[in-house]
Amino acid sequence: MAKYAIEVENVKIRFNLASEKVDNLKEYAIKLMKHELMFQEFLALQDISLKIKKGESWGFVGANGSGKSTLLKTISGILQPYEGTVKVNGRIAPLIELGAGIDPQLTARENIYLNGMVLGHSREFMEKHFDEIVEFSNLDKFLDSPVKNFSSGMKARLGFAVATVVNPDILVVDEVLEVGDMRFRRKCNERMQQMLSGGTTLLYVSHNIESVRNLCQYAVWLDEGKIRMIGPSSEVCDAYAAEQEEQVQKKQKEKRERLRKEGRKYDYLIVGAGLYGAVFARELMKRGKRCLVIDRRSHIGGNIYTEDVDGIQVHKYGAHIFHTSNQRVWKYVNRFADFNNYINSPVAVYKDELYNLPFNMNTFSKLWGLKKPQEVQAKIAEQIADLHITDPQNLEEQALSLVGRDVYEKLVKGYTEKQWGRDCRELPAFIIRRLPLRFTYNNNYFNDFYQGIPRGGYTGMVEKLLTNVDVMLETDFFEYRKEHPDMFDKVIYTGMIDEYFDFCYGHLEYRSVRFETERVEEANYQGNAVVNYTDREVPYTRVIEHKHFEPEAEQENPKDFSIISREYSMEWKPGIDPYYPVNDEKNNALYEKYRALAEQEKNVIFGGRLGSYKYYDMDKVIEAALADSAKELNIWIQ
Amino acid sequence: MDLLRYRIKTLFKYKDLIQELVARDLKLKYRRSFLGYIWSVLNPLLTMIVLTIVFTHLLGKKIENYPVYLLSGRMLYDFLKASTTNAMKSVVGNAALLRKVYVPKYIFTLAKVTSCMVDMVLSLGALFIVMVATGSQFHLTLFLLPLVILQLYIFCCGLGFLLAQLNVFFRDIQYIYSVVLTAWMYFTPIIYQLDDRFPRWFHIAVKGFNPLYYYIAQSRDIIYYGNIPGPRVFWGGWLIAFVMLAIGVWSFQRSKDKFILYI
Repeated sequence: MAKYAIEVENVKIRFNLASEKVDNLKEYAIKLMKHELMFQEFLALQDISLKIKKGESWGFVGANGSGKSTLLKTISGILQPYEGTVKVNGRIAPLIELGAGIDPQLTARENIYLNGMVLGHSREFMEKHFDEIVEFSNLDKFLDSPVKNFSSGMKARLGFAVATVVNPDILVVDEVLEVGDMRFRRKCNERMQQMLSGGTTLLYVSHNIESVRNLCQYAVWLDEGKIRMIGPSSEVCDAYAAEQEEQVQKKQKEKRERLRKEGRKYDYLIVGAGLYGAVFARELMKRGKRCLVIDRRSHIGGNIYTEDVDGIQVHKYGAHIFHTSNQRVWKYVNRFADFNNYINSPVAVYKDELYNLPFNMNTFSKLWGLKKPQEVQAKIAEQIADLHITDPQNLEEQALSLVGRDVYEKLVKGYTEKQWGRDCRELPAFIIRRLPLRFTYNNNYFNDFYQGIPRGGYTGMVEKLLTNVDVMLETDFFEYRKEHPDMFDKVIYTGMIDEYFDFCYGHLEYRSVRFETERVEEANYQGNAVVNYTDREVPYTRVIEHKHFEPEAEQENPKDFSIISREYSMEWKPGIDPYYPVNDEKNNALYEKYRALAEQEKNVIFGGRLGSYKYYDMDKVIEAALADSAKELNIWIQ
Repeated sequence: MDLLRYRIKTLFKYKDLIQELVARDLKLKYRRSFLGYIWSVLNPLLTMIVLTIVFTHLLGKKIENYPVYLLSGRMLYDFLKASTTNAMKSVVGNAALLRKVYVPKYIFTLAKVTSCMVDMVLSLGALFIVMVATGSQFHLTLFLLPLVILQLYIFCCGLGFLLAQLNVFFRDIQYIYSVVLTAWMYFTPIIYQLDDRFPRWFHIAVKGFNPLYYYIAQSRDIIYYGNIPGPRVFWGGWLIAFVMLAIGVWSFQRSKDKFILYI
């Protein structure tokens, strides 16, 4: 038994481009007389050396014309090498094209025999395996109809069934499985897997890199007839995919730049490079629309912007933890970033005590020393009952009636007062509708299915979303519109809706926050990403230690310093960054007035947190952007 | 010697394929026509009738039992024409297949010549009918007919290989060859008798340089005259057949690896 199934050594395949076009005597004679019989050589393969052991599976990738099929044909014996040698040990079943050798005039039954014999089987052998082939190809009803009446999928089934009737020593598959329906392809894949486990050597060419990755142990990347890379298939596939992606990007970038130089008009002007704008732009770009994204700030990403400070991703506009229960959104963001498995479990500091958040059994047992959920439930019920609040008139009474005095005093009161800048007794009750209490020992702050933070920060994710979209930073929409009123057809506006209408009905109100970011020379400042301060005496509401959002980055590259941000809640006034819309009755009514105006603006779509005056989590923003863009593009989504 | 053994082994391996290809040719020929096999008999019969009517009235000197005389030559010519023309197209015609699967290319040429031979054997029925109809005698020498057919079969294989190979490189060979075939027919005593009306140089040219003459002369002897063929045409026939086969195989073998680049 030879060790290698296939040995290819220094193979060169040469075509003569000039003389192959002369295929008749007349032209030949004329060219001969005129001395025009030139020799124009073309090397389809050069210096190809490969050693493939029995039972291995090899994928071949490369652009069109890179020599993949030529190589497989050489191994199959269809082409003879011009130089070098090809040694093959074992029987080859070539699937260069399914249904090669199928005669359309003959019936399926006759074709099974003919095709089998073309592949070198004997009549006796074919008779023995006839039923097996018919069963696999699922054509028993059409056995005696001429193949010319078959669909291409049926022909493919027939071809595959015949070619793989016996476990060949070497199976050569050249992009033939791209035809046919899903079921057939799955069946073929199963068959190939089964043959592979039975010791068959597989040579596989496909433009579908994923299938090469899944099916093959090794891969060869051919480029203009030469081996560009050879090795484990995942490595080769990654490198090949990366280069392909790069080339596509380069081409698109060139086109983008050319259009920009020509001063061509944009289909859409997107105001604001935040998450809503970026997702919207990406969806429009995917459908071939040309977009310009502008932003007042000097960076993309809006409030989810993260800045790399000496290897730590700093959440410049507050902690952003991605969480969602929408699988579609989760899959969507994962296309643009690798998410880590960060789970938000903040802690609260009240004076010199420390409690787990959200309010759960860990919190309660620390508060009261109780262990059993029933005891805790009884304790809280007792505290609530003692207060005799039936109709809460303000936030304090509302909160007390929900969680009782201990939790309220230590964990709610101070924090809420700092957040709103006023006493809880002066705040309306509706701000807190419910305070979820958890009677399990579970510190996971969110209840969503999926949670995480993009490795390397959110900015990279937004950058990827904005691939192939023109972006202009530090550009004010109102000035741009004045200077270039003809540069765009439509506007996606994610800024403050009242500003768009020049505050004609007055200002909408917001809450804002301010950050004091500081570098501390400590490797681990507070041991958690988020620590809330719930007593009124501490001026800030919480402290964020950014490195804990990315524990894996810290593990890879430990740093002996840390970046922390103290978060202060503050009243918003014109000129500072707005964060949270104040959705009270007064502001909502005002917003409705603006919204009515917005509906009059035919060529402007308002969206995002500021454009629709609504508190959005990141997943909800993406959902909204996907829905709005689909509506704009007239696409139905499920 | 090893190479020869290897070749014979592959030929043996692909014998079922040849069989299947021959069967396919015949099936396709007969399947979807109303008269089916009858065509194989009817076709030479009708040609014979036309030619008989034309030539018995045109030619001054009458040939005795002209229908049998004509058929005994014409059949071989028809076989030569059909088999070599089909063989010529056999490699190019299977280009789609040869580009995808490794199959020895000569298989297709061989299958075409073989299916034409089978077709000819089937059309012997026409000869039988004519012989019965004209009341001609059945000679014992008829048993030698397979030998003649075998000789011509070998000859046609050789010529077929040569033409198939040439056709890959020069597609206009087809047109040239059809002219050659017409000339060849008139250069062979099929519809006429090679008698003293023809000049001496013509006799020498036909008998010395026309391979087809050797096979037609033999078949005439066997069928029409009831003679055992003379040693010159008999052994000459075998010799020519094998020389042609050698030329065909050599030329095919020499260029077969380049086919794929041209088809």
